[in-house]
Amino acid sequence: MTTTSATPLLEVEGLKTSFKTSRGIVKSVDDVSFVIPAGTTLGVVGESGSGKSVTSLSIMRLVARGGGSIDDGVIRLNKPGQPAIDIRNLDEKSMRRVRGNDIAMIFQEPMTSLDPVWSIGDQIIEAVRLHQKVSRAEAREKAIEMLRLVGIPAPESRVDDFPHQLSGGMRQRVMIAIALSCRPALLIADEPTTALDVTIQAQILNLIRRLQKEIGMSVLFITHNLGVVAEIADRVAVMYAGQVVEEGPVRAIFSAPRHPYTVGLLKSIPTPGSSSNPMASRKLDTIGGAPPDPVALPHGCRFAPRCPLAIDECQKAPPPLFPVGENHGARCIRWPEVSK
Amino acid sequence: MVGVVMFAIIIFIAVFGRLLWPVDPLRVDILGSLLPPSLEHPMGTDDVGRDVFARFIQGAQVSIGVAIGVTIAGTLIGGTLGLLAGLVGGWFDTIVSRTMDAILAFPPLILAMAVAIGLGPGIVSAALGVILAAIPWYFRLLRSEVLRLRTLMYVESAQALGASSFRLIRLHILPQTTSTIFIQASSVFSFSILTLAALGFVGLGIQPPTPEWGTMITEGLAYALTGQWWLGFFPGLGIFMLAVSANLIADRLRDIYDPKSGARLSL
Amino acid sequence: MINFLLARIGSAIITIFGASILAFVILRAVPTNPARLIAGPFANDEVIAQVTSQLGLDKPLFVQYFDYIVSFFAGDWGFSYSAGQPVLSQIVQRLPASAELALYAFLFAFIGAVFVTVLVSFLASKWLDRLLRLLSFISVGVPPFWLALLFLMVFFEQLGWFPGPVGRGPAPGSVHTGLFTIDYLIAGNFSGFATALHHLALPALALALGPFGYLVRLLRANLLDIVNEPFVTVLHAKGVAPVSTHFQHILPNAFLPTLTAGGLILAQLLGGSVLVERIFVWPGIGTLVIDGILRQDYAVVQAFIMLSAIIYIGVNLLVDILYGYVDPRVRRS
Repeated sequence: MTTTSATPLLEVEGLKTSFKTSRGIVKSVDDVSFVIPAGTTLGVVGESGSGKSVTSLSIMRLVARGGGSIDDGVIRLNKPGQPAIDIRNLDEKSMRRVRGNDIAMIFQEPMTSLDPVWSIGDQIIEAVRLHQKVSRAEAREKAIEMLRLVGIPAPESRVDDFPHQLSGGMRQRVMIAIALSCRPALLIADEPTTALDVTIQAQILNLIRRLQKEIGMSVLFITHNLGVVAEIADRVAVMYAGQVVEEGPVRAIFSAPRHPYTVGLLKSIPTPGSSSNPMASRKLDTIGGAPPDPVALPHGCRFAPRCPLAIDECQKAPPPLFPVGENHGARCIRWPEVSK
Repeated sequence: MVGVVMFAIIIFIAVFGRLLWPVDPLRVDILGSLLPPSLEHPMGTDDVGRDVFARFIQGAQVSIGVAIGVTIAGTLIGGTLGLLAGLVGGWFDTIVSRTMDAILAFPPLILAMAVAIGLGPGIVSAALGVILAAIPWYFRLLRSEVLRLRTLMYVESAQALGASSFRLIRLHILPQTTSTIFIQASSVFSFSILTLAALGFVGLGIQPPTPEWGTMITEGLAYALTGQWWLGFFPGLGIFMLAVSANLIADRLRDIYDPKSGARLSL
Repeated sequence: MINFLLARIGSAIITIFGASILAFVILRAVPTNPARLIAGPFANDEVIAQVTSQLGLDKPLFVQYFDYIVSFFAGDWGFSYSAGQPVLSQIVQRLPASAELALYAFLFAFIGAVFVTVLVSFLASKWLDRLLRLLSFISVGVPPFWLALLFLMVFFEQLGWFPGPVGRGPAPGSVHTGLFTIDYLIAGNFSGFATALHHLALPALALALGPFGYLVRLLRANLLDIVNEPFVTVLHAKGVAPVSTHFQHILPNAFLPTLTAGGLILAQLLGGSVLVERIFVWPGIGTLVIDGILRQDYAVVQAFIMLSAIIYIGVNLLVDILYGYVDPRVRRS
């Protein structure tokens, strides 16, 4: 099957991922679906433990290392003009060709994401040579070019530096250089700015946006900060306790949220949508209570125990995703009554 | 688990062995010399007809007794010095720390040998040698713990309230470090068993005719290659079982109390 | 870097100074008459008086220490009465035999430990990991002299696979390094090399087991730490194959901290050689030291004790410097 430009780049349908722990099976991701059209950005928002990182690791098929397994669902990558790739059923060797090449990933912790005993140049060269047939010298040229692209000064000399010689912001730039060195169709950014200083955060966000335009890639941007999402995303998926509770265009989510949890998140931002102070990191302090125990989830709506609008009806059955607007869905039976 | 069982077997033999096997370990019987293991002599007899099992039992008592003494003395001396150095600081800390560095400059077995030679061969000098080698390990442990805990808020505020150093140690520092001390003590016990046996083997341990495992191996050396394997085999097995089980127990304790310190090791 | 070097060397010198005082106190200032210790039990009063003045035992302790340290660094390590030879020349004669044994023991321990530990961690089998852990405890807890005895009883007496306690075997015709295996190789005599190795195998293995167990424990703990580092997930996300991840990234990272164990390994080899050499009648320093103890001819033992401390401090210094040079994280600071 060859895809047309109308087919989204990434389709995730009914994804379920669980982890075996000493306390029982944790359903970290429970029936998650979304699509990312080519060239667009999906922001995934949620508290830690909401399943947003596990979703991204599932797309990379890297959950087995942590003792997890993908139990159900479809993950399909549709590169333009090429057959669709069924990620869940791909053999491991082909999957390695996808990782870093078609889908690249950057992580939250730039301080520990690089191998401390390899020079940064060698770590870029490694990525380039894994996926492209080029000589070492060519790969080194490419590494220097990538370092220049991500805004590292004097890349010709910096290429031989070791990670410990760089600041956190510089290391995240190197991580981006590694991720983008093979011009991936999809970049997964898992809280890439959380560990950085506020001033550096804006720089990294701008860099990702700029490079997205240059390369024409799609981005899956994971964060707990709605302010950051407003800056970067076209669409937003809000996750809570392993599920997407609301999904829609960024404007709709910010102007007319239809899930009480989204409303709570928006209220926790001091100046919602304002780009003057997007990174203020006060976190969810207006939502009372704590997320549910992952091994003993509520039978009905998972947010009901913390929800100001909860009624008896909410406890009875898990709510479906209601269509609440154009390309906009919310998992709440009282969605018409929800407002900012 | 294996460690505890092995340890228990040897301890049982040391404690109840003489009651259950009331044979004189020093009784010479030239006509019954170099007999292989049998029901009458479970570990055979040695070159002058002494019962190896009876000697094994007494060897166990000697080894375990001295090792326990060494471990306790090392803990008390090294621990006290470490506590004091951490609390008092200043010139006292400098002098004691430097002395510990000097002790640590020697490979532990060779330091113990030096003490045993300097004081004249015998069980007391051997034990003192092992104690001296073990002191710096406790010293470093306790000193760094004190320095670490002293910087913690609650100890600082306790001091601000006028708690005496003694109270500080008893109420705040000792309860925090007990598990670490126990882990270290099991390692030191294992080290003592091996080192005492090694000193006995080179002729610096307990002097004959009192049986000691290391010395018994030396005595068995001459017969090892003429078929009388039991002379040297059994005492070595005793050392081995005791040293390995103590290490296994130390490791298990470390897993339980201090799971993060997997990489921290002592010789 | 220069500052780091100077500071490290400075503290090593202070430690050697402290160690020499300690050795002096332990060996010279004890209640026993050191002259009798040095001269041996069979010396008459005349010899003892001679030794007393020779050692300067009639002088104040401070002067004695000064003389002791000066003569030690001048290479005057005393005279062995039982051998009728200066201690220094005895030690020099026997150094190659001990060095060769320690070298092979180190190689066996090191190669063996790296091989099994890396293999087990790569296979990631819980069952094998438990076995490896048990093996490391057994290795550390086995008394080397007993193991040497067992080796002889099994592999020489019973099976006849290896030579008995006859030392190093026939010496090569020409001496270059004093290490038999290397000298045979230089001479191009491969059967001689094989014979020398055959003689080395059992004592080197007996000596290697303790350091082997220690290295396995250390390397295993380091590998476990590194495997859980975030950068390993990043490598997987880059599409790096598990084999490359393990051998090109995880292993070098786990390996560097293992370097710091170099000093402890040496301590085990120095102590262990005293215990193992004698059983194989190995003509090395360890045998010399035990003979000295048994004949109460302590001059050589005293020299050995001080020498071990200096070698031990020196190797630790070397390891520190090497570590600083190899590890990019330390190199800069």
